[in-house]
Parts: sequence; structure tokens; C-alpha cells
Amino acid sequence: MITKLSPNQIAQLLTQSTRQLDASTLSSLVDARQNALKRQVRMPVFAFTPASAHTSARWTDRVTPHSTQQWIAIGLLVAALVAATSFWRHSQEQQISELDVAILTDDLPIEVFVD
Amino acid sequence: MRGSVIVVFLLLCLASNSASAQSWRALTSAQREALSPLVQQWDTLPEKQRHRLLETAKHYPHLTAEKKQRFHERLEKWSKLTPEQREAARKKYRAFNQVPAEKREQVKQKFKEEQANKAQQTGSGVSIAPVINQQ
Repeated sequence: MITKLSPNQIAQLLTQSTRQLDASTLSSLVDARQNALKRQVRMPVFAFTPASAHTSARWTDRVTPHSTQQWIAIGLLVAALVAATSFWRHSQEQQISELDVAILTDDLPIEVFVD
Repeated sequence: MRGSVIVVFLLLCLASNSASAQSWRALTSAQREALSPLVQQWDTLPEKQRHRLLETAKHYPHLTAEKKQRFHERLEKWSKLTPEQREAARKKYRAFNQVPAEKREQVKQKFKEEQANKAQQTGSGVSIAPVINQQ
């Protein structure tokens, strides 16, 4: 016979079963939960929230990354931005230098292009 | 600690991004040859201009003998222009290059003729600039 149980009924059954567990088992479960929580990676919050929502925490705590991986990710992102900017600037400079050479070596003298 | 490492990293990135231009003595022989008309004023030129001239000098070895001569003849005058004048000249040159090649050649031909006439009639004050402005 298959009885259909709602999520609430399942939760009640689990709670009842938990109450029947002996103290040592419960203690082990609590320890395991604590260990799992310790290993859990804390995710940073990059959103600004109203001051009234978390009056005790400074905004810098909420926007500062909390793990080495996050610092590395931000470092790589910054490095990529710097590299992209550098590449763009170099490309611009190259275009200008090519233009300057063209002006300096054209059949027409530079006076023609200078007001 | 991590914050300071990131700050140092950023500063290093920025420092490498804006590499400083060299003094005349530190230039390579190829760079000195290309920029020889500027030997006197090189160390007094603004860093940005020096950096740009070094980029320009990279093209020098690939120029023909005639263009190398023009490059040297015009370089000093070019370096004495203000940044605004140089930028205006670049704009004008770009605009002139968008004119059909046939018409550009006509302008160049007309310029040569005017130069020849000018040589005959000293102090005639003929200029090609109005011709280019009309394009």
C-alpha cells in the first residue's frame, strides 16, 4: 500500500523519529552538522543594503571577498582589465604612429596639413 | 594582508602599463638613427611625445631612401608643433585620404606645379592649403 505524504507530514515523521534517537547518535549528528557548516564557503555579498537592515555590520565587510578563491578571481579580473586597457592603448598608439609616419613621408609637406 | 597584496599588484600593473620613455643615451642605434634630427631636444621633450616618437621610429627602417630623407627633414618641425596642431594635422590628413585617389593625385600635381611657379616667382606666397580645404 502506498500512502501519499505531504512535505509537512514527512517533516513531522522525521521530527518524531529524531526524538526517538539516543543521545550519542544525536550528539554525532550535531557534530557532523557543525563540521559541515564550518567547511561551507561563505559567499560575499556585493550588494549595498540599507544601513537600517544591518546596522551592526560595516559596508566594507559586506563587499570584501572572504575567501582566497574570491581574492584570486578579483585579482584575475583586474589583471584582465589592465591587460585589455593596455592592449587598447597600444593599438591606438600604433595607429597614431602609422599616421604620423604617413604625414612625415607624404608627397605633400606637413605645412599643407598644419593650419 | 590580502588587501595590501592586491594594492601592490595593481600598482605593478599600472607601472608596467605606463612604461616611461627613455633618455637619448638609452636609445638603441636604430632609434637614434631614426630620430637623429631630434638629438638636441630629445631629453627636453615631454614623455608622452617621446613615447610616441619611439613608436614612429619603429617604421623608419622599412622606409625607402626618399621617404627616410623626408622623414628626417620634417621630424624637427613636426616635434615643435603643439599637440593640438599635430592632432589637427592628423585629422586633416585622414580627411584628405578619404578623398578619391584620382582627386588626391590632382591636388598633389597642382601642388607641385605651384611649387615650381613659386620657385620662379620668389615671394609669391602661393599655398596649397586652400586647395586641400576645398576637398
